[in-house]
Amino acid sequence: MTRLARIVLAVIAVAALTGAVDAADKVRVVTTIPDLKSLTEAVGGDLVDVDSLTRGTQNFHEAEVRPSMMLKLRKADLLVENGADLDAWIDVAVQNANNATIVRGGRGRIEISRGVPLLEVPSTRVDRSMGDVHPLGNPHFSLDPGLAPTITQNILDGLLRVAPQHRAAFERNRAAFLARLDEQMGHWTKLMEPVRGAKVVVYHPDFIYFLTRFGLVQLGAVEDRPGIPPSPQHLVNLIRQMKEEGVKAILVEPWNDVKLANRLAEEAGAKAYVMATAVGAVKGADNYLAAIDFNINTLAKALR
Amino acid sequence: MRGLIIVAVWLAIVLVPGLAAAQDAEALRRELDQLRRQQEQYQKAIEALSERLKRLESQPAAVAPAPPAPAPVAQTPPAPGSSGTPGLLDLARPREPFALYGQRGSGQLLFDMGVVGDFVGNITQRNVDKANAGTFAGRENRFFPREVELSFFGQVDPYARAEVRIESGEDEPGAETGVSLAEANLTLLTLPWGTQLKMGQMRARFGYSNQIHEHDLPWVDRPDALRNFLGEEGLTEKGFEATIVPDLPFYLEALVGVFNGDNDVAFGYGKLSQPLVTARLRTFFELADEHAIQFGVSGASGQTPDRLRSQLAAFDLKYKYRPEGWLHPLLTLGSEGIYSIRRVENDLGEKTTRDRFGWYAYAEVQPWRRWAGGVRYDWSQFPVDPGREWAVEPYVTFWPSEFLRFRLAYKHTERSQREAFSENGGSGRLVDELFFQASFILGAHPAHPF
Repeated sequence: MTRLARIVLAVIAVAALTGAVDAADKVRVVTTIPDLKSLTEAVGGDLVDVDSLTRGTQNFHEAEVRPSMMLKLRKADLLVENGADLDAWIDVAVQNANNATIVRGGRGRIEISRGVPLLEVPSTRVDRSMGDVHPLGNPHFSLDPGLAPTITQNILDGLLRVAPQHRAAFERNRAAFLARLDEQMGHWTKLMEPVRGAKVVVYHPDFIYFLTRFGLVQLGAVEDRPGIPPSPQHLVNLIRQMKEEGVKAILVEPWNDVKLANRLAEEAGAKAYVMATAVGAVKGADNYLAAIDFNINTLAKALR
Repeated sequence: MRGLIIVAVWLAIVLVPGLAAAQDAEALRRELDQLRRQQEQYQKAIEALSERLKRLESQPAAVAPAPPAPAPVAQTPPAPGSSGTPGLLDLARPREPFALYGQRGSGQLLFDMGVVGDFVGNITQRNVDKANAGTFAGRENRFFPREVELSFFGQVDPYARAEVRIESGEDEPGAETGVSLAEANLTLLTLPWGTQLKMGQMRARFGYSNQIHEHDLPWVDRPDALRNFLGEEGLTEKGFEATIVPDLPFYLEALVGVFNGDNDVAFGYGKLSQPLVTARLRTFFELADEHAIQFGVSGASGQTPDRLRSQLAAFDLKYKYRPEGWLHPLLTLGSEGIYSIRRVENDLGEKTTRDRFGWYAYAEVQPWRRWAGGVRYDWSQFPVDPGREWAVEPYVTFWPSEFLRFRLAYKHTERSQREAFSENGGSGRLVDELFFQASFILGAHPAHPF
């Protein structure tokens, strides 16, 4: 028994030391969603080690809080959360991670929605008869490339709090990323110019920032109310409306009911497109710029 | 003299206009200089504006200009240890919150609140009803509010979090429903070395399902082993719980609790001088992203009202299989067992030890997002009385939305003896029950852990 106890203690000690050595190297950042992981990597470069608690193929509203999340959070120097109620589950994971640095109000906690002009902020009384409404506004802003300067500024602020000695490198990385984004933006704007004003239907209202940025119009949503399965009557009306308006595309998330979107599109003479609703949501959307590039190319072809 | 006067007059006539003219010229020169300076300023301003316009025009139209850097939320605090964990001195120093609900404007609550309603109906045989031997003893063949809970939770300040839950429900048939304090506790979140301290009244983290509220259980009723060894309400105690999550490559949570020991089934002495002490170890493994398993062991030791030692040991296991891209698990398996060692005094006044055991296992399949079906098997002895019981309970759950749930279940129970379940001439040896459950959530409700 004593021998077994010694072995267990030795394993724990070695494991703890290994962790400590790793910790000394880089700033350990945990993000709630993969878009923020990609942007944090863009700002932090080689000086950060970033992990996302969710994957691009997941619905971020309904992430399951697993102890593996708590393990990542336990070791984090900085937690980057989206905010605006997209990733409210993070509080439960943080509570069980026992990491004082990243509790709400701690220096290692940054909420990305700070300074972002949120769209679809309810101006009247809201309740859950309207579905999964977000009283603070639509939280799906991360894949609007026009908001990347604000998002990366918030990330930079957070990184500077925990690693102020790397200010110059972080600022240089951010400037280089924004320069690349600017360059790409010109290309994307040119691609989207011919389809400007085109109408599309979305499955769940998480494209509004992207559509607004590139001058597309959201005609309607498959979900009558966010998060609530659509009624047959709503679908009939939507198909009629799509036919009348000549809608060519239904944009659907990889985690949503792609089969239903395909059936609807077939009925309405359109096509359903699985979009990169986040980094890693579809093949090839491995980083922030690639995810936007995927969406731009998909829509530019679909709406031509 | 006259000549002098003439000369003076002449000079005055000649020079005064000249002087006046000279003064006008000076003023004009000054005005001109002023105008020139203004023109230069305007020129510079125009050039600056042109330059800015040129710069803006050269950027792609869609990129919003980077907003001004947000105002610093607060000063950076004294740097804690390299790991980011504050030391004792850091904790002693006053600190400012960085971003505590910075997004929320005036007039907004700084905490969350929610209401949960959980209603249960059950139908069973007449002799079971007479004997008060159903799962919901004394409320057989009734539809009743089992738990209506008003909860408040949120950050107290940057260092602590609190939750208060007040609940009401029908304990016995009638129009009356009592109101009680279900939980009220404070958790210190910023203690050093990965520790937290929770204090107040709480559902003790003993085993897996004890800490889950009735309305959040994956079944209509609490498993028989839990009800037999910890009572209808479970182990809800007043005291302290300290947890530590060491910085290891795998997840491990260790917990120690010290409580009054108010649970009248297992403990009940109710004094900190002879406290109820609990302990728990919990770990978790992921096999790829699709498979996850949680394993826990727990222990509790306290005294009964007769100052006799009562000890519990428990294990719990939960496995989930969530196929790639699914929003919900396809398969959930779980099991929990409690082993009780209790000193009792028999009719002859002799003290003896009772070793008893109870366990359950369940499997749930959720092929669609809004529908799930499962079955639970229970087997349990009684902590003091002789005999045992087993039960099987298939159930089906339907969620019209995330905040509304209906459940239908059937439970068949068999007990090895009828003596303890034969009140009023009835019998609870063989029990068949049909359960119906309706639950709703109004407002905020924290996410459920694994």
